[in-house]
Amino acid sequence: MREYIATFYSHYGAVCFKKNCQKLGLEAAVMPVPRNLSSSCGTCVKFKTMEQHFPELNEELEQIAEILEVGYRIVYRAEE
Amino acid sequence: MKNEKTTIAAAGIIIGLIAAMLVFFGNPANMGFCIACFLRDTSGALGLHNAAAVQYIRPEIIGLVLGACAISLAKKEFRPRGGSAPVTRFILGVFVMIGCLMFLGCPFRMILRLAGGDGNAIFGFIGFALGILAGVVFLKKGYTLKRSYKMPALEGQLYPVLQIVFLILLVAAPSFIHFSEAGAGPGALHASIVISLVAGLIVGVLAQRTRLCMVGGIRDAVLFREWKLLFGFLAILVSALVVNLILGAVTGTAYFNPGFAGQPVAHTDGLWNALGMFLAGFGCVLLGGCPLRQLVLAGEGNTDSAVTIFGLMVGAAFAHNFGLASSADGPTANGKIAVIIGIVVAAVIAVSNTVRKSEA
Repeated sequence: MREYIATFYSHYGAVCFKKNCQKLGLEAAVMPVPRNLSSSCGTCVKFKTMEQHFPELNEELEQIAEILEVGYRIVYRAEE
Repeated sequence: MKNEKTTIAAAGIIIGLIAAMLVFFGNPANMGFCIACFLRDTSGALGLHNAAAVQYIRPEIIGLVLGACAISLAKKEFRPRGGSAPVTRFILGVFVMIGCLMFLGCPFRMILRLAGGDGNAIFGFIGFALGILAGVVFLKKGYTLKRSYKMPALEGQLYPVLQIVFLILLVAAPSFIHFSEAGAGPGALHASIVISLVAGLIVGVLAQRTRLCMVGGIRDAVLFREWKLLFGFLAILVSALVVNLILGAVTGTAYFNPGFAGQPVAHTDGLWNALGMFLAGFGCVLLGGCPLRQLVLAGEGNTDSAVTIFGLMVGAAFAHNFGLASSADGPTANGKIAVIIGIVVAAVIAVSNTVRKSEA
């Protein structure tokens, strides 16, 4: 099980994504984006899943970063 | 996370200190910083309104934008973006300014007024907090102005460059730029250009690094039980209050005057102080940040925030051209009508941009 943070273009996107996580039974929470991850809106979703097994991605999704012991690794980034 | 809290508290302390000291150096009382007032003064200097008491190109605004721009370039966080409902943001900007000028100050000055002992700001704060709560209700229901998109570099650079043009106009002072004459009112009271500019630059850098936002503090506390941004808000209040008390003791002039009547650039109508800030708080949640945060985002290349600031400046022009802005005598009838219209418009924008979760 790995831990990820997904950032969004809007708060709404984050709320939808969290719902999708919960539908799949994934542990997920909405929270403010940590300062060292940049993002468009201030809300992110922290969730746990098996590697690269993500819930449905919505158009408000900006990026998904894996939480490492030190820092983050970007695993998905939406087209600008 | 703990580290972030310390950083934001430290930044808040420095910002509170700078804001209080700006009054010592010549800014109007309890107005070391006021994004609404300063954009209004700049609008006046450009001749968008003719209120002779409030016309001056405020270097603090220029410094805030350029400071945020410089640090975001240095940290590779300068990202030209835009296209998220610009016209809606412009309109919200207009009404947020009308709400601020009903109260006589933006959320930042609201804190500084509290730190100066102005009890009327308590009513402003109550309205502000309720306005944020109203906005949060819509955020929870799915309110969104849709995503922004990457923009060409020049598009993001234009607003910061415009600040350099304003600085040149301020220093060169050509005859078509209006400056309040000595004794005319708040516009004539200001620290020297260099002090104001440096103060703006420092606060711009700190606000960019910490994402400080007066609206974000209460919003995040309600939405996530996350108190970090609220820490910054409280740190500014405590720091400005302490510096005001020290300045009073050292100079013999009171910088902290607790009470309601006769407060500087303020009126005592509690209901309208609250309703003005209700509109400001509500509008700012719908915009995603307070006026200070909009300046910082515009400095980072966010053109939606730049459009919002143009809305704020036009709102200031409307406020003075149409007699909407309050004065020490209290609110005006026109201003009351405009604030009510503003709350209705913000509510319509909130409802029509709220997607029902079942449709998602």
